[in-house]
Amino acid sequence: MAAVNTTVAPTGTPPSRGDRAGRRPALRRDGRYASVFLTPSLGGLALFTLFPTAMALGISLFDWPVFGERTFQGFGNYSHLLHDPVFRRVVLNTVLFVVLYVPLNVVVSLGLAVWLGPQIRGRQVFRVLFFIPVMTPMVANVMVWRLLFQPGGLIDGGLQSWFGIDAPNFLGSSNWAMPAIVAMSIWQGFGYNFLVFSAAIDQVPQSQLESAQIDGAGPLQRFRYITWPMITPSMFFATTMTLITSFQVFAQPFILTQGGPGVATQTIVMYVYNQGWQFLQMGLASAAGWVLFVIIMGITAIQFVGQKRWVNYDV
Amino acid sequence: MKASPARTRRWVTAALSVLALTAVAACGGNNGSSGSSSGSADKADLTWSFWVAGAEDQAAWQKVADQAHTDHAGITVKLQGAPWDSYWSKIGTTLAGGKAPCIIGMQSLRMASYAGAMLPLDDLIKKYGLKPEDFDKPIMDGLKADGKQIAIPYDSGPMVIFYNKDMFKAAGVPDPKPGWTMDEFKAAAKKLTAAGKTGLVTTPGDLGTMSWIRTMTGAEPLADGKLNFTDSKFEQGFSQYADFVKTDKIAPQVPGGNPDFETQQFTGGKAAMQLNGPWSLIDTKGKVKFNLGIAPIPAGPDGSKTYTAGSGFGISRSCKTPDAAFQAIMSMTSEKPLTTLAQAGRAYPARTVAHPAWFTAANIDGAKETIDYASEHSIPLVTSKNWVQVADLLNRFGTQALNGEIPPDQALKTIQDQAGAGS
Repeated sequence: MAAVNTTVAPTGTPPSRGDRAGRRPALRRDGRYASVFLTPSLGGLALFTLFPTAMALGISLFDWPVFGERTFQGFGNYSHLLHDPVFRRVVLNTVLFVVLYVPLNVVVSLGLAVWLGPQIRGRQVFRVLFFIPVMTPMVANVMVWRLLFQPGGLIDGGLQSWFGIDAPNFLGSSNWAMPAIVAMSIWQGFGYNFLVFSAAIDQVPQSQLESAQIDGAGPLQRFRYITWPMITPSMFFATTMTLITSFQVFAQPFILTQGGPGVATQTIVMYVYNQGWQFLQMGLASAAGWVLFVIIMGITAIQFVGQKRWVNYDV
Repeated sequence: MKASPARTRRWVTAALSVLALTAVAACGGNNGSSGSSSGSADKADLTWSFWVAGAEDQAAWQKVADQAHTDHAGITVKLQGAPWDSYWSKIGTTLAGGKAPCIIGMQSLRMASYAGAMLPLDDLIKKYGLKPEDFDKPIMDGLKADGKQIAIPYDSGPMVIFYNKDMFKAAGVPDPKPGWTMDEFKAAAKKLTAAGKTGLVTTPGDLGTMSWIRTMTGAEPLADGKLNFTDSKFEQGFSQYADFVKTDKIAPQVPGGNPDFETQQFTGGKAAMQLNGPWSLIDTKGKVKFNLGIAPIPAGPDGSKTYTAGSGFGISRSCKTPDAAFQAIMSMTSEKPLTTLAQAGRAYPARTVAHPAWFTAANIDGAKETIDYASEHSIPLVTSKNWVQVADLLNRFGTQALNGEIPPDQALKTIQDQAGAGS
């Protein structure tokens, strides 16, 4: 290591002559050492991300049962998915979850972060309270919500004893199951974005807000013209991450409804899991996995391109 | 020291090689438990893969495994336990990869999927003189694939009705007896459905649904080994079963995705009856605060008809010491461990000689009469290779059919379309 250090040190100092010829070897050396230091993480990325991704693409071109003959199918699995009414519904369910969950999550977490601004006393307590569902295991959360939602559960039992009416069969009805899952997911997930927004709002200089107030700007104007532009990088981070994770939603429907009733709450990741690990059809599972990968890549790319229009890094 | 490009390349190559080796070692890390063993017919260290529910379960089953060592000093069996769901995810890939442990836990309903990777035991049965007649016939048959014995059962059981004797008494409904009819059942259930409680609770699980359909119309899920859900008799039976929830309203609406809903409603005293297997009986009795009774499934036009399911132990094809593994399985399913399990209130033993110990542990009036009757009127539920998918689809679309969201025949057609012929 000592040998490495002695050689690395001079590369950090500017070349005395300042000419381009003098910098080139230093840069080259930097590159070499960087590549050595990057090797472990690049190796990990190649082995545990790139290789499985490429492998899945390969498998998706085969009829690949865990038991029995594997046969090359070309795009047969993709064509099957395209024509399968269940998979089409599964994609629609996932999109529906994203469309309902992402905006509601952002609105709830941003609303609470704004409300619990620096001037509120005891906000640390609220921060901890709101973050508890994020920290508790999803399985435990879902179990509690199941007891709330099921027939004869807390909601149904409460409505019956107080008003004598039956609650909807939240988890057994095609119309109610997805909203029930979205509600549970928001309760479980908003705490994370809430913390992100809360930290961003804390960074907005009080002096600017106060001078705007003196100039006669109301609360809405102060939010629109001062707070909002300053928290857009956090907003971009939060929406991108929430969008990606919500496309990958699995645990909530898996435990709460097992994707039912029918396929009303089955999501793409659940479909991949079922095909691969329950029904042992690796080819179809890999193809569905790639469909999800492409969707997420596409939407994330659109977000990165679109951020130029609304994200403000200059403040 | 100056790094030349060649040297850098060597560094990178070396680093990548170390990584690759580490990864290969990590991937192969489980090999110690697989392939299972070395040794001869009388001397081998075997691994047994099985589902367990926790540390206590693991200890109880390890004692069963130790019986092999007691009987054969040269054989040891080490239990490798996993929770139910992950067990099935894992066993498929290990069996397919030829790296499975020698002894494999197998459930009758899932056996069709895995039979190809398991060793038929018929020759070993003859060689070591295991007597099939010492076991319940329906479950011995239930663990056969294409006429070959794939596993030796340790537990078994026909589906029977569990009922809440206290609720029956309070509603003035007489206790059901073997031979009671579907009309008697419905009349009882209607009388018991009152004040937020229901006569029955049901969810479209495979074993329960198939049993109801079989007793109502005699229809079976497979015909010539192919899935036959769109058969008119099957549709008729399923439709009558869905009516329990949909039109008769003797059972509550089904929530999606709660496999414990039936048991929760029944043990909580919110439903007077459920269809269940003897494997749950003693556990249920310990949970409930009422008097528990059991009765056979009500008789349809052709009498009471139900299905049996159970589990056992088989040998993977990749096992290098099948003789030792079979001797171990014989010990593990012998009278002593099965009686010990029965006395501890676990599953209903597949070996008939252990039945009395189980009935004593259960201590429920008429249990023997009911289970013997149900067993006589049962056959093993023979399943398709993709039964896990069929059961999953049944759960999804069955819930919709029972709740009246879609017509029962549409649910069955969707399942048939999705699952195909069931290969």
